[in-house]
Amino acid sequence: MTALVEGAKKLVGRRTDVVDRIDGLDEAARAARGRLDDALVDEAAAVAERAGARLRLSGDHTVVALAGATGSGKSSTFNAVTGLELAAIGVRRPTTSWTMACAWGAEGAGELLDWLGVPKRHQVMRDSMLDTPGGTQAGSGLDGLILLDLPDHDSTEVAHHVEVDRLVKLADLLVWVLDPQKYADAAIHDRYLRPLASHRDIMLVVLNHIDTVPEARRASMVEDLKRLLKEDGLETVPVITTSARHGEGVPELTRAIAERVSAKKAVKARLMADVTSVARRMHEANGDARPGDVARDRTDELVDAFADAAGVPTVVAAVEESTRRRAAQATGWPVTAWLGRFKPDPLRRLHLDLGSRGKELTATARASVPEASQVQRARVDTAVRALADDVGAQLTPPWATAVRRASVSRLPDLNDALDKAVGGTDLGVRRTPVWWRLVRVLQWVLVLAALAGGLWLAGLAVMGYLQMPEPSTPRYAGFPVPTLLLVGGVLVGVLLGLVCKAAVRVSARGKARSADRRLRAAIREVTEKLVVEPVEAEVEAYKATRSGLAAALR
Amino acid sequence: MSPQTPPSTTTSSAEMVTALVRLREALAGVALPLDVPGAEEHRTMRGEMVDQLEDYVLPRLIQIEAPLLTVVGGSTGAGKSTLVNSLVGRRVTEPGVLRPTTRSPVLVHNPADVDWFAKERILPGLARTPRATGDPGALQLVAADNVPEGLAILDAPDIDSVEERNRTLAAELLAAADLWLFVTSAARYADQVPWEFLKTAADRSTAVAVVLDRTPPDAVGEVSGHLARMLTARGLRDSPLFAVTEGVVDDDGLLPPEHVQEIRSWLGSLAADSTARAAVVKQTLDGAVRSLSRRTHDIADAAGDQLTMARRLREDVDRAYDEAIRRIDDASADGTLLRGEVLARWQEFVGTGELLRSLETKVGWLRDRVVGWIRGKPMQAERVTVAVESGLETLILEHAETAAERAEASWRSVQAGQHLLEDSGRDLGRASRDFRQRAERSVRDWQHGVLEMVRTEGAEKRSTARFLAFGVNGLSVALMVVVFAHTAGVSGAEVGIAGGSAVVGQKLLEAVFGDQAVRRLAAAARQDLNERVTALMDEERTRYVEVLDGLGIHEGDVESLRTVSRRVDDLRFRDSGRVPVAGTGAEEDAS
Repeated sequence: MTALVEGAKKLVGRRTDVVDRIDGLDEAARAARGRLDDALVDEAAAVAERAGARLRLSGDHTVVALAGATGSGKSSTFNAVTGLELAAIGVRRPTTSWTMACAWGAEGAGELLDWLGVPKRHQVMRDSMLDTPGGTQAGSGLDGLILLDLPDHDSTEVAHHVEVDRLVKLADLLVWVLDPQKYADAAIHDRYLRPLASHRDIMLVVLNHIDTVPEARRASMVEDLKRLLKEDGLETVPVITTSARHGEGVPELTRAIAERVSAKKAVKARLMADVTSVARRMHEANGDARPGDVARDRTDELVDAFADAAGVPTVVAAVEESTRRRAAQATGWPVTAWLGRFKPDPLRRLHLDLGSRGKELTATARASVPEASQVQRARVDTAVRALADDVGAQLTPPWATAVRRASVSRLPDLNDALDKAVGGTDLGVRRTPVWWRLVRVLQWVLVLAALAGGLWLAGLAVMGYLQMPEPSTPRYAGFPVPTLLLVGGVLVGVLLGLVCKAAVRVSARGKARSADRRLRAAIREVTEKLVVEPVEAEVEAYKATRSGLAAALR
Repeated sequence: MSPQTPPSTTTSSAEMVTALVRLREALAGVALPLDVPGAEEHRTMRGEMVDQLEDYVLPRLIQIEAPLLTVVGGSTGAGKSTLVNSLVGRRVTEPGVLRPTTRSPVLVHNPADVDWFAKERILPGLARTPRATGDPGALQLVAADNVPEGLAILDAPDIDSVEERNRTLAAELLAAADLWLFVTSAARYADQVPWEFLKTAADRSTAVAVVLDRTPPDAVGEVSGHLARMLTARGLRDSPLFAVTEGVVDDDGLLPPEHVQEIRSWLGSLAADSTARAAVVKQTLDGAVRSLSRRTHDIADAAGDQLTMARRLREDVDRAYDEAIRRIDDASADGTLLRGEVLARWQEFVGTGELLRSLETKVGWLRDRVVGWIRGKPMQAERVTVAVESGLETLILEHAETAAERAEASWRSVQAGQHLLEDSGRDLGRASRDFRQRAERSVRDWQHGVLEMVRTEGAEKRSTARFLAFGVNGLSVALMVVVFAHTAGVSGAEVGIAGGSAVVGQKLLEAVFGDQAVRRLAAAARQDLNERVTALMDEERTRYVEVLDGLGIHEGDVESLRTVSRRVDDLRFRDSGRVPVAGTGAEEDAS
C-alpha cells in the first residue's frame, strides 16, 4: 500500500500534504491492526487505499454524482445538465437501474471511469459528440467533469442501494437531488446526509420538481429543507431549486458544478473529508495518552521474580558450597583434605559443572535446576501484570488489553528460556585462583618437609637401634632440624589450612556474588526478550498509530 | 350492529380474552436483557406485540361490535391529510407543503359513535384532545356528520420521515387498525419503507386498501398497473386499489369530490353492510391473533437464547474460578509450596540442629525466644509461618487475578458479555481491590486455625516433654509442612528434598500425637484451607454472578410463553372449528 501512495506521490507532485495525510492514515491503520476494533481499522485501510488509488488517477477530472430517491428527478437533471437525452426517464419506479456517466474531456477519463466501475456501454464522452443539438449550457466550463446518474437509494430494489453506497464513497462531489414529496425522508437523512456531515464541503443539494409547489410556498419549503439540513450538520451546503423538466434553475446548478470542477479542489476535499472522518473516529478509539514507561524498578522486580523462578538462589548457594569445597580440597591440609572428595559436588547435582567442552557436546542439555513452582510462577505473573498495568494505565481499553496480551504472549517459553539462561551462564567456578595453587604447593612442601623430617628421625632411630654411631644432627635454634621439620611441617600445614579456610569463605562468597550477578544479567536478557520486548512493540505500535493519526488529521 | 354469531361466542371469546391477557402478561414479563444476535429486534417485536394487544386486540375482542377503525397511513408527502379532508368533505386536519406534515393523529368519527372513542378503550396510551396539537402523544377527536356511523377514519403520521416519533407512532396506529387505507403516490409507490409495512400487513392478513395518490392523469394506467403487479407479487392480491389523480385543491385544501368518490362510496358501503364490516374486523383480528401467537414462539425462542447465553456466561465464570480453586488446592498439596522460601526457612528450623537441640534441652522455646529477642529476629518457627503466609498469599492472589482475567476474556468473546462488562461499571477483569487484604486475613486465619488445632489436640499432652520442646508454634509449622506435602510423590531432586522435609515433620508430629491423630489433623487442616480458599474465590465469583442475577432471566419464561401461546392457538382452532395441525402457521391460507 505504501507503494501505492508512493506512486501517487510521484503523480501529484507538490500536493504532498494530501499524500502525507493519506500516508499517516495508512500507517495508523497498519499499526492498529489487531489492536483496535477490526471494522474501524478495515475502514481506515480501505479509505487510505481508495484515496491512494484516486490520487493516481486523473486529477483533472472531478466526479460528480447525482444521487437521490426514486422519482426525485436525478435522470431529468442529468439530461438537463448534459443537454442530451441519455438517461431514461419515466413514471414507473424505480426508473434508473444502472449508473450512467457522461465525461467532458476524454483525456484520462476512461481510466477513472473504469475505476468507478461504470461499464463502457454506460459511458458517454461529451466531446465525442461535437454535433450535439440543444443543451445551451452544455460544455461551457464543464471541461473535466464526469457526471454520474446514480440509481435510487430508497426503492424496493436492494441492488440499487448497494450501487449507490459504493459510488457515494468514490465520487468527488455529491449532488443530492431531493423533491418536495421526499425531502424529509428518513432514508436520505439518516442513511446518507447525517453520516456524511463531515463531507459538507463537497456537497450540493438540489430541490427538484419545484414547479409542483405553489409559488408562495417555495420559500418556506426551502427554509424547511435548510432547517433539516442544519439538523444533519449541513448548514453550509448550498440549496439550489430546480425544475429539470422545465429547465428552471438548471443554469444555476450547472454553474455551481462548473465552478467546483474548474477549481479542481473537489478531489482533494473529498479525500481529505474521508481521511478526516475516519481518522477522527480512530483517534477517539485510540486515545491520546502517553503510554507508561517500563520503569527500572519494575524490571528489577521482574528480574527478581524470574531469578526466583529460575532457581538462582539454589544455584548461587551451590556455587558457594562447591567453591568452598574445592578450595578446601586445594588449600586444606592434604592429609585430610582428600576426604572431601567423597562428598558430592552440589553443582554437579544440578548438572551445571560441565566445562565449556561439555556444553559444546550437549548443546541443549538441560540443567536440573528445579522447575518453577506454582508460587514462583505466580510471582512472575504478578510482576508481569504489574509491568503491563504500568504501561497500559493511561491507554484506552483496547490498547491496555493489547499490552497485557503482549506481556504474556511469550511466557509459555519461560521455563525453557530460563533454563537456557542459567545453563548458558559461565558461573566462574572453573577458574582456580593463583593463591590456591601457591598454597597447594606450599602445603605439599610442608608435607614433604614433615615427611623428610619423619624419615630422618626414623633413620636416626633405626641407627640408634642398631647401635650404629649416631651421626651428628644439625640443630637450629637449639632444636634438632628433623624434629623441627616434622613438627613444624605438620603444625604449619594444619595452621595454614585453617587460615585458608577463613580466606576461602570470603572467596566463595565473592564467587557466589559474581555468579549471582552473571545469572541475573542473563535473566535480565530473558525478561527483555520475553516480556519487555513484546510490550515495547505494542507501545511502538501505539505510538505509530498516534503519530499516523496526527499526520492524518493535520 | 353486531354480526350474527353462535351463542357460544361469548364464552369462547371470554376464554380467548383471558388467554390473551395472560399472553400480554407473559410477554411483558419476559426479560431480554442480553445482546445476543437478534435481541434488539426481539425486544422491539415484544414491545410491538404488547402494544398491539393493549391497543387493539383486547379492546376489539371485548367489544366486537365497536365501529370499524380505518387508519390512513403512508409516506410523508403522499397526501394523506388532503385525502382524509377530501373524504370527510371538510378540513379536519392540516395539510402542508412542509415535511413531515401531520403532527398529532386525528380521528374522525360520526357524532353517534363518540362514546366508542372518547373513552380510552382503544389506544389507551394516547390522551384525547378536541383541538389540533403538535403533541404526538395526543389523539385529536373530530366528530363529522359526513362519516358514516360504524366507521371512523384515523389520519396517522407518516411512516418514513426523519421524525422518528412519527414513525413509531404510525407503526403503533397501523397495528391498531381494523382496516388500513394505505396511501402512496406515483413518486413513492416503489419505496422500500412502505413495502415493509405492506409486507407485515400481508403476513398478518390485515385488511388493506391501497390508494395511489397524486398520480399525473397521463400516468395513471401505467403506474397503477405496475403497482397492482407489485401488490400481487407480495401477497396482497385481494386488496382493493384506488387511484387518485393529482388534482388542483380548492381553497379549503380539498380535492375535487369526484376524485375520491370511489373510495368514499367503498367506505360507505362497508359501513352500511354490517356483515362485510364484521368480516373485515374478523379478518384483521384473526390475523393479528394468529401472528401474535406465532411471534410469541419467536419471543420464546429469543428468551431461550437469552437463557442459554446466561448459562454460558455463568459457566465461563464457574470454569475460571473452579479452575483457580482446583489449582490452588493442587499447589498447596503437591509440595511445590515447600520450595524456595518456605523450604529454606523450614530447613533452617530443622536443619540447623535447632530442632535436635530443642529436642534435647526441652527448653527450646525459651531459648528461641531469648535468642529471638537478643538477635532482634523473629523466631525460626515464626519465620517459617511468615514464609508460608507469603507463599500462599502469592498463590491465591495470582490465581484470583488469572480467574478474573479468564472470566472477563471469555465474556468479552461474545457481544452480550461485552456489553454486560461495560454496563457493570466495575473492573471485573481484575481481582477486587481489597482481595489482597482478604487473602492475607484468610491465610492468617487458617494458620491460626492450625495453631488452635494443635493446641486442642495437645491439650492432654501439654505436659509431655516433646510437646513442650517444640511448643505449639513449632508443631503447627510441622503440620503445615505435612499438609503441603500431602500428595508429594512427584519425581525430581527438589521434591525429594521437600518430601524429606515433610517426612521430618511427619515423624515429629507422630512422635507427639501418634500417627492416627496426625493423619486426622493433616486432613482437617487441609480441608480448612480448601474451604477458606473456596470462600475467597466464591466472593470473587459473586461479582460476576451478581451481574447475571441482576438481569432477571428466569428459567420458566420460555415454557410459560409457549404454554400461553398454545392455549391461544387451541382456542383459535376450536372457534374456527378446525383441528390444529402440527406447526403454528397451519392456518396460513385462512385469509
